[in-house]
Amino acid sequence: MFSEKIGRRNFLKRVSSALLGIATVPIWKASPASEKTEKAPAVEFRTLGKTGLKVTAVSMGVMNCSDASVLLRAFDLGINFYDTADCYMNGRNEEMVGKAFEGKRQKVFIQTKVHVHDEKKMRASVERSLRRLRTDYIDVLVWHDHSSPNEVSDPKLFEFMAKLKKEGKVRFTGFSAHSHMAPLLREAAKSNLHDVALVSYNFTHSKGLKEAVALAAQSGIGIVAMKTQAGGYKKEKMGGLSPHQAALKYILRDQNVSAAVPGVTTIEQIEQCAAVMGASLSRNNLNELEQYQSFLQGRICTMCGGCQGECPYGVLHTDLLRAVMYHEGYENDSLVRESLLRIHGQDIERCSECSSCSVVCRRGLDVKAQIKMAQALMVRGSERIVRS
Amino acid sequence: MILFVLTWIFVWFEASSWAAPLESLFPKKDLPEGWTLAEGPQTYTKKTLFERINGEAELFFKYGFQKSVFAIYQNKKNRENQVELDIYDMGNVLQAFGVFSRFRNEDRPGGFGLDSFLDDHSALFYEGKYFVMLYAPEANQEILRQFSKLISLKISDPSPPPREISYFPKSGLKPGSIQYFPEGLLGHQFLKRGFQGTYVEKAEDEKKVEVEDKDKTKTGDKELKLFLAIFQNSQMAINALKEFRDDLSKKGKASSGSIIEFEAKALKGEDPYQGKVMVVQKGFYLLGVAGFEKEEDGENRLAEFMREVK
Repeated sequence: MFSEKIGRRNFLKRVSSALLGIATVPIWKASPASEKTEKAPAVEFRTLGKTGLKVTAVSMGVMNCSDASVLLRAFDLGINFYDTADCYMNGRNEEMVGKAFEGKRQKVFIQTKVHVHDEKKMRASVERSLRRLRTDYIDVLVWHDHSSPNEVSDPKLFEFMAKLKKEGKVRFTGFSAHSHMAPLLREAAKSNLHDVALVSYNFTHSKGLKEAVALAAQSGIGIVAMKTQAGGYKKEKMGGLSPHQAALKYILRDQNVSAAVPGVTTIEQIEQCAAVMGASLSRNNLNELEQYQSFLQGRICTMCGGCQGECPYGVLHTDLLRAVMYHEGYENDSLVRESLLRIHGQDIERCSECSSCSVVCRRGLDVKAQIKMAQALMVRGSERIVRS
Repeated sequence: MILFVLTWIFVWFEASSWAAPLESLFPKKDLPEGWTLAEGPQTYTKKTLFERINGEAELFFKYGFQKSVFAIYQNKKNRENQVELDIYDMGNVLQAFGVFSRFRNEDRPGGFGLDSFLDDHSALFYEGKYFVMLYAPEANQEILRQFSKLISLKISDPSPPPREISYFPKSGLKPGSIQYFPEGLLGHQFLKRGFQGTYVEKAEDEKKVEVEDKDKTKTGDKELKLFLAIFQNSQMAINALKEFRDDLSKKGKASSGSIIEFEAKALKGEDPYQGKVMVVQKGFYLLGVAGFEKEEDGENRLAEFMREVK
């Protein structure tokens, strides 16, 4: 780490000299920023419901952001809608947004939040948000985490928001929800009190939520999707799988979503997210999502390569597991057929002889049960062949 | 053998004494006069934290959240006068400091815990593996202080503050500005985890007057950052330095090749968002300075920082 022969003092002297050397000798080899041939992503704008705001389909959830440079990078990439909240990091998050966009306020839309309380406290909260954001208006102010339809259609809450709108402190209003989203969205569609709904919405959610999102969007509510990455994940924990882009593409495929606000921490992540705009969901993306979902649920094999142990009879269990994954996860019959064709009938027979499988899944997947499913698929497949 | 058993018992006792149940840290009978427990304690886990703090739970997960307990206290005479208390078990002192450093928005120490923040409505502190947050809807700094001290006394985790905090030179350091990030230091994925501190470079008098004329609220003082990225080994630090160089080459300016002979490797350049940067690898660390104006100032800051990093 540090050469004892050189000694700290001499070492620092040399480091310092070297750095000074750089300052005096023209050894810069890089070209100025303006000459960089960086490919900018195609920016896709969508209308945020009845607000009429043209927001970028990929926008940004600021909550986990570690540095203002990430916001500035997002801005340079063309992203124009930013979601923060009064309470995030005790107000520091709003401060970061305010500082980063000072002088750029007219070019961005800021969404922040307020908790339900008495009017005095709510007003104080909004005033604090305005100060931290260094602005005199909030583009979208949403109630923080509504959880019941009663809250969504509460006329008193609406009255408060209406006052703020009238005072020019807030342009549009709405609510956020982390749970029971479908009934809340249906209520919002009925009550017509909200301009925007910020809801947890991703590829793991049910058809019921998708329908509720459509209903709310049709009523004019701008849908902003959060938790689009289904809670985040670590690439290294998932055998290198990185389904960030696939998850975003999936949710943006729903045209009822005006904007997605993935929570990003780094410049690299926002670049990855921005690149999704205008891109379509590929078959590979769907595969990634299926693997991700099964990773989340621990239900089917993700082909992570982390199997422990070997079959004493040399059965290629991965082919069997893959067939199940295609059937259960992808619901893709042609892929199931392709995998089953690679499996020898003899192998399946050998599997029947063992009461438990000597291959163990590190995620706790029941390998024997999966093989039984593969056997059932094979039987069904051969029945079809006999019938045809 | 007996000595071994006794040592083991002692170690176990020491370890378990500060790993006391989270609920036991809540003031119950020893409350400030006139105060009573109104609600809770309610325990939250990784699965349920969203119910308590909504989306902000994600930030806590990044900092290694284990579990938390929440309770509300109220004044017997004035029920509107309440204190909401959250105690978070963050797993270790580094993560407790980290989350504390993200919430503290200025230097207003309250004199409890390893470091703290206190204003009229809120108190924050970390001690051992615990991060504690108190909130008073009605301004009441004194009661927040009393509660904080009570809880601090109950915490027996003897862990000292993360040693990296002491590496940051004191001269020019903006009080309360050192932060720990579990990922995305300086907004870069490749820098992974580490610390940063903000330093204030005093403006020269002539310049100061000029700026003050334009905007009375600004002093013309400039801020720069010192940062310390931590890697598993020196090779990973060297790899990250290379990534940093590549990134600067693509988006800003970077010098070519290694500029330091011997063992240390260094980089100098201009980041489009951080301004001028200098980075030096020292063992499994990358040390850097960002946002300086004069080369000399940056070099001096970095050299001073290098001396401190053990």
